[in-house]
Amino acid sequence: MESFAYPHFSSTVHVALFNNVTNAARLRARIGDAEREAVNFAFVDARLVTSVLHIQTAVTQALLAASQNTLRTKTVHSEVLWALNPSNNITEALRRYGVSDDSTALLVIRIDPLDFLVVQDRMGSVVEGTLAPILELAGLTDWAAVKKYNKLNEDPVINEAQNDPSREHHLIDNIVVSIVAMKSVAA
Amino acid sequence: MPKRTHESPLKSTDRPYLALGLEGSANKLGAGIIRHEVDGSSTVLSNVRHTYITPPGEGFLPRDTAVHHRQWALKVIEDAVTISSVSMHDLDCICYTKGPGMGAPLQSVALVARTLSLLFNKPLVGVNHCVGHIEMGREITGAQNPVVLYVSGGNTQIIAYSRQCYRIFGETLDIAVGNCLDRFARVINLSNDPSPGFNIEQAAKKGKRLVPLPYSTKGMDVSLSGILTATEALTYDKRYRPNDSPRNGDDEDCFTSADLCFSLQETVFAMLVEITERAMAHIGSKEVLLVGGVGSNVRLQEMMGTMAEERGGKVFATDERFCIDNGIMIAQAGLLSYRMGFQTPIKMSTCTQRYRTDEVHVAWRA
Amino acid sequence: MAVVAASASTTALLNSSTLISQGAEAKVYRSSLHTGSVPILLKHRFAKQYRHPTLDSTLTRSRVVGEARALLRCLRCGVSVPGVRFVDQASGILGIEWIEGRTIRFLLGSGDEGDGAHDGDSEEDDHDVDSLADYEVSKDELMNMVGTEIAKMHLADIIHGDLTTSNMMLSHPSSLNHSLRIQKLVLIDFGLAYTSILVEDKAVDLYVLERAFASTHPASEPLFASVLDAYKRKMGKDWTAIGRRLEDGK
Repeated sequence: MESFAYPHFSSTVHVALFNNVTNAARLRARIGDAEREAVNFAFVDARLVTSVLHIQTAVTQALLAASQNTLRTKTVHSEVLWALNPSNNITEALRRYGVSDDSTALLVIRIDPLDFLVVQDRMGSVVEGTLAPILELAGLTDWAAVKKYNKLNEDPVINEAQNDPSREHHLIDNIVVSIVAMKSVAA
Repeated sequence: MPKRTHESPLKSTDRPYLALGLEGSANKLGAGIIRHEVDGSSTVLSNVRHTYITPPGEGFLPRDTAVHHRQWALKVIEDAVTISSVSMHDLDCICYTKGPGMGAPLQSVALVARTLSLLFNKPLVGVNHCVGHIEMGREITGAQNPVVLYVSGGNTQIIAYSRQCYRIFGETLDIAVGNCLDRFARVINLSNDPSPGFNIEQAAKKGKRLVPLPYSTKGMDVSLSGILTATEALTYDKRYRPNDSPRNGDDEDCFTSADLCFSLQETVFAMLVEITERAMAHIGSKEVLLVGGVGSNVRLQEMMGTMAEERGGKVFATDERFCIDNGIMIAQAGLLSYRMGFQTPIKMSTCTQRYRTDEVHVAWRA
Repeated sequence: MAVVAASASTTALLNSSTLISQGAEAKVYRSSLHTGSVPILLKHRFAKQYRHPTLDSTLTRSRVVGEARALLRCLRCGVSVPGVRFVDQASGILGIEWIEGRTIRFLLGSGDEGDGAHDGDSEEDDHDVDSLADYEVSKDELMNMVGTEIAKMHLADIIHGDLTTSNMMLSHPSSLNHSLRIQKLVLIDFGLAYTSILVEDKAVDLYVLERAFASTHPASEPLFASVLDAYKRKMGKDWTAIGRRLEDGK
């Protein structure tokens, strides 16, 4: 797990990557349960995240919306999912980017000044899976799904780079990060 | 930033120089006499002007304006000479506006200049109208090397001096700002006395509501015709209250002609200040000089002043005597080039409707 | 509409950032959004006191949005520009990818005319001795890259609106991941950009750059000529009409 301080938002953000997750269906069922605090995280399907910067950008925009009282969703955690989805449809955002029954890799995020160990402990008790270094994210991305959801299949630049995966991934990452950053002002 | 510290090419003199300037490129006929003193200073001996004023709703046409200038030329020049208490024989040269401007009025004044030149055997100096504004502005305000915003009924330009040339950094892509304001004044039937622009300025002071209008700057250029069209269209809007009747409770959404004048000024001037600031940043200048008829608008001066202050700079402006077209500015610019050895032979003493500011060789500056 | 006023978090963010230049339009900062993040560039379009507050707020918002959208459009079309990293429309702030490198104006060595400060260009204060050699390109190659990148932008129907040699950068070789073969020339400052399919607008864009070359770099004709050459090659058949328009405009 890694923690990032956002001093100007007076916030700390904890991000952990879990691989080989086996209880995705149960996690999904528990969200919205009475026991809010136990699952008070943003669960993000890691396959749709292209880089650490991608998730950090979504977190930043969610924090900004929270600080300006312009959250579109109920909590800052669900706002992260909303920020990741290119459309304005909240249900779609939660369905696509949140935990689904077949999720096996999850980014678990807690926006809270809680102590690192406390958060890691709570995450570990909720998610059944392997805690992995966050940089392993790179190997988990489902690029085809990312392209589809962000409507990148028609973009000439992506087609041009098709034969060079590392270049293609770099270009896609830069575009989806930009899409997330400017979602509040998207056309 | 290395400062160029070349000396002025203007030689110091052992005697004063005198020039008569004649201006008539638009609806103002002006005559003025300036004296360049031995110590390098200048004295305005006279500055007389007569304006051709048309009825409300009407602009001035070239032919009628030329007639006005012919009718008033003798009186205006006579007054200028009398007030200055110098004799025509004392003059060093006679300066006239070569252009740019309206053809017929320019020609009628050039004819007068030629006649005087032959009568009194004085050399002629053809002057670029825009350069006249700039040189008079510099002379009156003492601005050293400012970015110049030249705004009048016929011109909207951002100018800065570089290598003996007044280079145009930005300008209007369609109509001039004065033209934009004047034409709107006619739409709402404001008086042309003393000038439509002045009456817009007064009406704008009563305006309160900012009505959204198109805002069009491109780099250091502006486009103004779209704004005029949009503002004009608003006078046909259901919410428009032409007679400035006070608003009642359920009339909140409405706007008066004063509101439109206010909105037009706020929008158009914001565009002008914006491109001026961009030019200042580009050139690295902290001074801005406002010249031309619209330059006498106090709201524009105020906005420009705020901008300049934020940049740690200063705005220089003149009042209507020197901002609005006049003869003295032609005398000033003409005398400067005369002192550098420039004359316009009578055969060449033509006029031209198009005469760009950057075509002039500014020999008198380093 | 609310007047543009920085919120508490925005003020804190700007306070924690390093001001690198103040242009006519905006203050530019080097900043970091959280601990351990790569640097980003923040462009704060501060309120202009001379403008009516309502007008000021409307303009600021629309320009932040306009610039962000133009950048995304460029990215999608493969034009080399900084990625968008942060948008706070209410405060007039745009955050973009930090480009480690130099402006073309700097690398060409500006002439005596260009001794003033330009928007977003505070290099005159530095004493670094970066030269073209450090960037492993020749002047000619550099002009080629400029022409090609502008052509790509125009092929995507994006008009920059303020093309100058200060608004294009070359990223320093040390900042690049060579295995990715990223474009090294980056177009920046899309504050005046708009989309248009008109030949006229593309020709004006080039004309603005030509004027900028002439006023900033002495004896710039051959430089601009090689920019145009590369532009021509990349534009293909679209060049004819634009070239004619460019000639007409002079």
